[in-house]
Formats: sequence, C-alpha cells, structure tokens
Amino acid sequence: MSGDGAAEIVEKALRQGRRSLSEHESKQVLARYGIPVTRERLVERREDVPKAAGEIGYPLVMKGCSEGIAHKTERGLIHVDLRNAGEAVEAWDAILAGMNDEPGGVLVQEMVRGRRELVMGMTRDPQFGPCVMFGLGGIFTEILNDVCFRRAPLEREDALSMMGEIRGRGILDAARGMEAADRDRLADMLVRVGRIGLDLDGVAEIDLNPVILAGKNPVVVDALVILDAPRRKL
Amino acid sequence: MTNKGKDTAGRVPAADPFGTADFERIFHPRRLVVAGVSSEGFSYGGALLLSLQDMGFEGEILPVNPRGGTFSGLPVYPSVEEIPGPVDFAVIAVAAKAVPAVLEACRLKGAAGAEIMSSGFSETGTPEGKALENEIREIAARGIRVIGPNCFGIYCPRSGLTYLPNPDLPRESGPVAFLSQSGGMASDFANTGKWMGLRFSKTVSYGNGSDLREAELLRYFREDGETGVIALYIEGVGDGDAFFRELRATARKKPVVVLKGGLSKAGGRSVASHTASMGGSGRIWRSVLRQAGAVQVEDMTEMAEACLAFSLLPKRAVRGISVTGGGGALGIAACDAAESMGIAVPPLGNGVKKEVLALLPRSGASAANPIDVANPYTPPETLKRILGIAAREEGVDLQIMVFLLHHFKHIALTEEKPIAEVVPCAAFADSMADVVRETGKPVCIVLPNTKRGIEDLDIVALHARARQAFLERGLPVFDEIRSALRAVGHMNRYYGGKEGNP
Repeated sequence: MSGDGAAEIVEKALRQGRRSLSEHESKQVLARYGIPVTRERLVERREDVPKAAGEIGYPLVMKGCSEGIAHKTERGLIHVDLRNAGEAVEAWDAILAGMNDEPGGVLVQEMVRGRRELVMGMTRDPQFGPCVMFGLGGIFTEILNDVCFRRAPLEREDALSMMGEIRGRGILDAARGMEAADRDRLADMLVRVGRIGLDLDGVAEIDLNPVILAGKNPVVVDALVILDAPRRKL
Repeated sequence: MTNKGKDTAGRVPAADPFGTADFERIFHPRRLVVAGVSSEGFSYGGALLLSLQDMGFEGEILPVNPRGGTFSGLPVYPSVEEIPGPVDFAVIAVAAKAVPAVLEACRLKGAAGAEIMSSGFSETGTPEGKALENEIREIAARGIRVIGPNCFGIYCPRSGLTYLPNPDLPRESGPVAFLSQSGGMASDFANTGKWMGLRFSKTVSYGNGSDLREAELLRYFREDGETGVIALYIEGVGDGDAFFRELRATARKKPVVVLKGGLSKAGGRSVASHTASMGGSGRIWRSVLRQAGAVQVEDMTEMAEACLAFSLLPKRAVRGISVTGGGGALGIAACDAAESMGIAVPPLGNGVKKEVLALLPRSGASAANPIDVANPYTPPETLKRILGIAAREEGVDLQIMVFLLHHFKHIALTEEKPIAEVVPCAAFADSMADVVRETGKPVCIVLPNTKRGIEDLDIVALHARARQAFLERGLPVFDEIRSALRAVGHMNRYYGGKEGNP
C-alpha cells in the first residue's frame, strides 16, 4: 500500500490549477495504492488506436478522457463492446466529435464482464475527517441510496462489516450462477481508499463507480478524484 | 494546582493529568461553594442550594453572595476568598461577566472543579460571550476542571449533588452514567429514569463543554468501577478524532448508548462527487457511531429502555424468547417484533408444551410459543409454574411476561373495591422473581396500559405501583412488547458483536 508516485500525480494537477483528475489519472493513483483497476491505454492519436486496442484485447470499451468530463454517458462519450479495429477507429471519431476539442485523449479499456456493480468512495467530514463509502453501484447508487460509511483509517473488521450493513448485501453472495464476491479483496480495497484520504490532503473526494465484480474479483471500472487545495494539517 | 499536562490552548492531552481522586472531589465534594445565592427573590444559586438541601447533600454547603447574611439557615460568605479553609468543588451561578473572577477565586482556594450554570457565553454567538468563555478556558488551564458553562451540572446520587431544579431525584446509586450536552435532556433523563427504574452512578450536563467534555468524560467513566453502562446525548463534539478513539475504547469495555441530536440532513455544503453528496453529516454520524461500537438510539425513551436492559439483564446476547400473556393478537405482535429484531420465538417442544397446556384453560388458550393464558386473572402461582416449565425449552434465553392489569377494573367494579386491592401486584412480582431465581433465565415484564384517561387514574396509579413492585425485585418493566424487544435487540447487537456474531 505504498502509494509511491500517487502524491506526484495529485500535486501536478493541483499546480495546473485543476479541480479533478481525469479517469486515467484517478486510476493511476488507485493503482499505486494497489487497488485493482481496468487495464487501459490513454490514446492521443487516431493512428495509435489499433495498436492500443490490440494490446488490451477485444471486446473493449473506449471513453473520452479529460479532466473536465464527468458525465461521459450522457454526452455519448462511452462506446462499449467494440470487437475489431474498424469499430475502435469509428468510436474514436465519434468520441472526438463529442469532446469539442477538450484536452485529453481517449481511453482504450478492457471490457469488464460482470452483472454486479458496486460503489466505493471517500469524502471528508468536517468532524471526522476522511470517511470511506461502500454500497450498491451503477445506476442503483442514486436510486436505492444503499451505501454506508466508515471513518478512516479502516480496520479490516470495519471494512468487512460494511458488506453486512448494506440492504443489498445479498448481491455479494453466490447466486444465480454467480460466484460469491471476494470479500477479502473488497475489504482490502476499502482500507486502501481510506489510506488515500489520510495520505493525500489534496484529494477532497473520490468516486469509484462502478466497481464491477468480474466473477468474484472486484475491478474499478470508472473513477473520479476531486481535488482541493491541501488543507493545513491540524 | 498547576497547569501541569495542559498545552497553551487549555486542551487536555491524551494522558489524564487528573487522577481519579480529583474526580472524586468533583462528584463527592466535602466542601461545596454555591456562588450566586440571593435572599431576595429567585436566584439560580439559591434554587440549587435548596435542591441540595432537599436531596440531603452529604457535604458542607458554603453559600456566597456579596451582601452576606444567611440563606436557608446557612451563613452567606460575601466572597469566595472569605470562606475559611479549602474547598473541593463549586457551583457558580453568577452573571456571566462575574464568572471568571469567581472561578479564579475557587481555583486559588484549591477547588478541584466547578460547574458553571450561568449562560451568556459562546452559545450567544457574540464576541463578548466567546471572549468570556476563553477566559474560563484559560483559568481552567491553570488548574481547575470546569463543567459548563450553560449547563445544569452534576447529579450524583451518592453525594446528593443535583441538577437545577431537581430536589427529588433518587439518592440510590446504580450502574448508569449519563453525559449530556443539554441540561434539559439531563434533567429529563434523570426524571424518566427515576420512574423507569434506572439508577445512576454519576451524571454530568456539560453544556458548552469549555473544558471537561465528552471525550475525557468517556475515558473517566470507562475506568469508573461504579459505572456499568454509559448513556450519552450529544449534538456535536469538540474533537472528532478524540471522541471516536475514546468512544471506541470505551464501548469495548462497557455499553455506551448514544442519542445524537441533529441528524437531519445537513444542507449547504458544496460537494462535487456522489460519495460526498451521499455522506451528509447524519449518515456519517450513524456510521461512525456504529464503527465505534456504540449502541444507537433515536429518542430519550429508547435510550432509557436500552439502559434499563443493560442495567438489569445478564450481560449476554439473547437468541430466543418465550412470550406469555393473554390474547392472540399480543402474541402475534410479539412474534412480528421479535422477527424484525432477529430474535427467535421457538415453538415449545412437545413435552414442555404438554405440561404448560395442563395449566391452561381448556378453550381459547395456546401452549405454543407465544403462550396465550386466555385469562387475565391467571393466579401468580400458575404463571410462575408456566414460566418455570417454558424456561426448560432450550432455545429460550429470556422470557417476556405481559400483564394486562386494566382488566382487573371489572373485578374491582363487581366487588366494589378499589382496583389496587384486587390486583395482587406483590404476588405477581414475587412469582416472576421466583422464576428468574429458579430457572436462571431472565424475565422482562411488559405492562401495556390501554386505560390512561382522566376517568382511569386509578389504573394509571395501579400501573405505577405494579412497576415499582417488579423493579424492586430487579425485574425490568417496559410499556410495550416492542419496546422490550427493541432493548433486547440493542443488547444482542452489543454482546453479539463483541463475540464476533452478526
């Protein structure tokens, strides 16, 4: 859980006066804390698309990736289930048209298969400092509002107890041909998200949504890190 | 007294610079200053002094007022300085602007602490109020522990210290400690506890909490041998990190029942992520309390009922219960409530069931679990035998006995006697106490009263007497089955959680 290099990513963005990290940068921060994220390449030139796509492997997902883009779905900047180089290049063209010359690039990303979507996150409470969230993800996060929180640092037991606290906890069990989620791995991820909150003052909030269960293994598929000017240590 | 162990801001570091002896002098003062008694008209200091006398306060009371004279038979000293000899504790009820000088005088007299009832400090939000409170904090840092300002102070049954205006709280001590940011809540809880059967070790209303407040008091009560369960009413905390640490450490040692005021949605905070928008302060509070292992309640009644269960029931989780009473609907309500709390109501095995059935009327009764005795006038001896048999059921860890005492009104009218004379309260209570003693399994009493109107005051009084009879025998009493099960549910979460169960 070293987090080596994560602070540099945050500090660089802060120096540029930015309010958030791009999806790709957010995932780099997570990866440096040992949190499993999608395999992906950030592509900045059209001619690099087929090579990156080949490296990731089909089918794949392509997303517009820029600091300013938060609502990618609504803006048509996500293309999924692309099965060959032709489809990938077509997706590039469509995404670029939708991005209106915003700086950034296009993420070529493995398509994680799984029907169960979770959410993790971090927010800062004025009284209790960094708090980690866990709950049902995807479109259900806001509809069902089925999440719970723990104050950082999380002990392993804290993280495991979150999985028993949400109403939709049954989603983590084996059911309908799906394996039981790897709770140890999930707990480990939650502990690490809390660690980021404690380590990096420049990170104000984190959204990891969805975290998809690929079989039993959780993978962060989309990530958003909101920045804040570093607060004074108390 | 020095400012040993405190930093310049007056904060107390993690290690307690005051030993238990100083808290002893605060909760059980031998010489107590009451500053701000007035012989002309009402004064808070005067009212508190009279309450202390009514309570039979054990120590010597030293009233102070610049005009001197006497008050309620006691000589009034014109100033704290003029009191001969040392003092242990002080109640300060003078005007806000006069508080710092009086507090400093008490400190110089060697008082271990003072409770400041006066208001007019940071709670006003004015610069003057905040400056006065800072002055208090500075004096405290020099070596006197301060409770308040803007508080009702301490109620401690053993010494007879009491809140304003409570001249009639019990002097009998018990296992419950209470910490309250609100004075009104402190007084209400003590009075509710009085009839509900709670007995207190020490209680503190700390108001603005300029010096002593939740985190440090939790640490004190964690180690206090007299305290077995801690109740806490908070609206906000001084230091979230210290509070969390002390709460978690304390909850590992004894139950801490927390009522958090102000959990409604916090508005106005500007946030950018879904996580932050979903983590309003109420939600985070609940999560943090849960994480710390606290028992969370939604209102004062639930807090009192939880404390009652923690005070009187064995310190372990309850897997299953038996329910005995009259009427099928009550039994069904009990099952519904039990299920929602994760408590089993196991059917009685054939042997046990047969023995119980032999004691019941032939029609209308049921010896499954719940046991429907189908007769509100079932004699105490029969009830004792029924519960004695039902306790043999392996899955039953606790028994609930529902008494429908209002039905005795019918007998009272028929026999033309007062209802109190036709209800065998003492015999009912004895029979239930016998069950507990003989079976080793606890019994919770439920006394629902459907007759509470002005024309049924005799029944209201009867219920109060019955409650007292059960409480005197150490049996917890609840108004409704649901309240009893909710309290048991809190115990299950606490003791079950400690054993690593869900």
